[in-house]
Amino acid sequence: MKRTTSIEQRVRTERLIALTTLCALFVLLMPERAEAIPAFARKYGFNCTMCHSSVPRLNDLGSRFRDNGYQLPGRENDEKTVLESAPPLAVRTSAGFDYVAVSHDSGATPRSGVELSGLDILAAGLLAPDLGFVLVYTPPLPADVRGVAEQEAGLEMANVVFSNLLASGVAVRVGRFEPAYVAFSVKRHLSFSPYEAYGTTFVGGSPADETQEGIEATAAIGALRMAAGLVNGSATNRRNDVPADGYLRLATVLGAGEGQLGGQRLGVMAHYGLARPDQTLGGGERRGFVRLGADASVNVSHWNLALQVIWSRDDASLWAASAAVATLAGFAEVTYAPRSDLVALARYDLVRMDGAAGLDVARGTLGGRYYVIDNLALHVEYSHRQQNGHWLVGRGGQREDAATARLDLIF
Amino acid sequence: MRRLRGLGVVCVVVSMGANVGAQGQFLANTALPPQPVPADNPITDAKVRLGAQLYFDTRLSADRTVSCATCHRPKEGWANHGTTDTGIRGQVGGRNSGTILNAGYMHFQFWDGRAATLEEQALGPIQNPIEMGETLESVVQKLNAIPGYHEQFEAVFGTAVSAATLAKAIAAFERTVVSGPSPYDRFLEGERDALSRAAQRGLDLFRGKGHCLGCHSGPTFADQRYHNLGVGMDKPNPDLGREKISTLLSDRGRFKTPTLRNIALTAPYLHDGSEATLLAVVEFYNRGGVPNANLDPLMVPLALSEGEKSDLVAFMEALSGTPPVVEPPALPPDAASAGAASGGAL
Repeated sequence: MKRTTSIEQRVRTERLIALTTLCALFVLLMPERAEAIPAFARKYGFNCTMCHSSVPRLNDLGSRFRDNGYQLPGRENDEKTVLESAPPLAVRTSAGFDYVAVSHDSGATPRSGVELSGLDILAAGLLAPDLGFVLVYTPPLPADVRGVAEQEAGLEMANVVFSNLLASGVAVRVGRFEPAYVAFSVKRHLSFSPYEAYGTTFVGGSPADETQEGIEATAAIGALRMAAGLVNGSATNRRNDVPADGYLRLATVLGAGEGQLGGQRLGVMAHYGLARPDQTLGGGERRGFVRLGADASVNVSHWNLALQVIWSRDDASLWAASAAVATLAGFAEVTYAPRSDLVALARYDLVRMDGAAGLDVARGTLGGRYYVIDNLALHVEYSHRQQNGHWLVGRGGQREDAATARLDLIF
Repeated sequence: MRRLRGLGVVCVVVSMGANVGAQGQFLANTALPPQPVPADNPITDAKVRLGAQLYFDTRLSADRTVSCATCHRPKEGWANHGTTDTGIRGQVGGRNSGTILNAGYMHFQFWDGRAATLEEQALGPIQNPIEMGETLESVVQKLNAIPGYHEQFEAVFGTAVSAATLAKAIAAFERTVVSGPSPYDRFLEGERDALSRAAQRGLDLFRGKGHCLGCHSGPTFADQRYHNLGVGMDKPNPDLGREKISTLLSDRGRFKTPTLRNIALTAPYLHDGSEATLLAVVEFYNRGGVPNANLDPLMVPLALSEGEKSDLVAFMEALSGTPPVVEPPALPPDAASAGAASGGAL
């Protein structure tokens, strides 16, 4: 027992040393505020806030930049490729104190400690005019470094974008990417608690918050934004099948902007495909699913209200062999950014899954970020999640309380 | 060992990122470099003195009431505080007077870039029926008839007055109208107190949330390009700007990016002088400009707070250097006159 304690202390100490070293490196290599900027900002000589309302969330220009294949819209002729400009590399990680308590009727299991949430290495830029790429690699991180489960190596995102095809504003993205049916990016949102509406699915289903492999075409004509894609449901597709899931998204922006900070954005999406049987549950016949969604991003002064509703129907649940399961899920998120270095958020997530699955999830999240510099945020957040009726936890339900205070940095 | 590998990756990436330098694809707002001077029009003291006289001489206009200095007044930031120009016989033009300060650094002249050089620019207003309403032939004839000018042109250029030498003399003078270092320049030199805290916050906004650097880049704070901000595009018969020169539909509503150096001295703002103060200009950008089919895609609402707007203004106010002090020179008298004429009103 004593030996275990000693090992734990040593691991904790090493972890703290590693984190301190990381922070020290960051500070030492940051000669002045304006130079502490990640890959794209370094390329252009901009501050992060040129494209992010609050890192990592994009503002309206950032949204246009992404949709234009990582080229500044209107400045395509001035763009430099990766061979002509600064190395397009960036790193994102966060570390700090986490507290999580999961409780059932039988009791609670609290856990707390200093944790490294993970590490993303990002490379993005232009391979040639109108040919952009983005790559997000997660290197392997052992559990004793992170403080929680190990991080497996993987390519979270890897795609190329052919932009301004046939006409200005038309682009095609190929590879592994975050599909357009996700109206509010799960890769760039401000909270550490997930959007339940995107992440909750029946067993073996393909959650919407996973990146997908396939092809997506986007077009912007006036105030209309269109996207259509074919993806292979790769989050659960162990056999790496050909793309079989299709989706369509239409959105419009009322007023100037893209609905991020300026203008009011309204969108709808339809997503149809085949759910991949979970091999760990013995496989099985593929079942179809359909998702229909509506979303709105409303901006008033320094307030943003993000609304998402998704109705989905799965032909059959794999684990219950029952008839179709219908799910209604959504969230409402309010963010308030009175200054560029301060943002507060409140979100309520709700999932109602009927039928034999009978899953109900409700989550409330409160959080805030203060940006010490553009790309280093002090993040505090509290989230309470209540889950009832899941097959794993029984009708008694499960409650989760999570709090975190951490530094979130990208450089 | 695995931990060390992980940290190693981080160190390499951080080092690569940190060592690429601050100079991005959009030129940093550095101090002004030496001014480019065309090889066929070197600057000499005599030529500048001659150019100054011509700059202030109302005899270059048809009714002898308007000189270059009428619209580009030394005491008003070498622009003027009127909304738009007023020329001969009280005629009112459609555009705000641009400043002559540092104009020699610009790659083209006028809001629509119709003149490639200061020499070309100098002859434009003389022939503009609203501004000076003259013809080049007539002006050359008038100047050649003034003995003081005739002698100076012979001495400087070795020829009598011509349109080309007239343009060269005025352009040479205008190239001496350069502002001294601004508080921002001193800040760049390491004088950290040269910018107030508000101006330093404004600098951060200028490079980020304000989206200013997308166009106001480089030593002149101008990208030497044309952009459509939507100014006036919601009105009947809007000024089409660069399109009138290039005839390209893509240039509709585009105007030259003006320098921001000394911007605090040259109110009102925008090509039609429609915004009276710097704060009003920031408000204009904060709204995302005026929607139109050719609006620059960098124009989006900015969601600036009141404090951030003030900070941006504080930064722009720190871009003013000391302008040169130039008094109207004594002008050579007409042949029939006994004494020297004086320069026009400033």
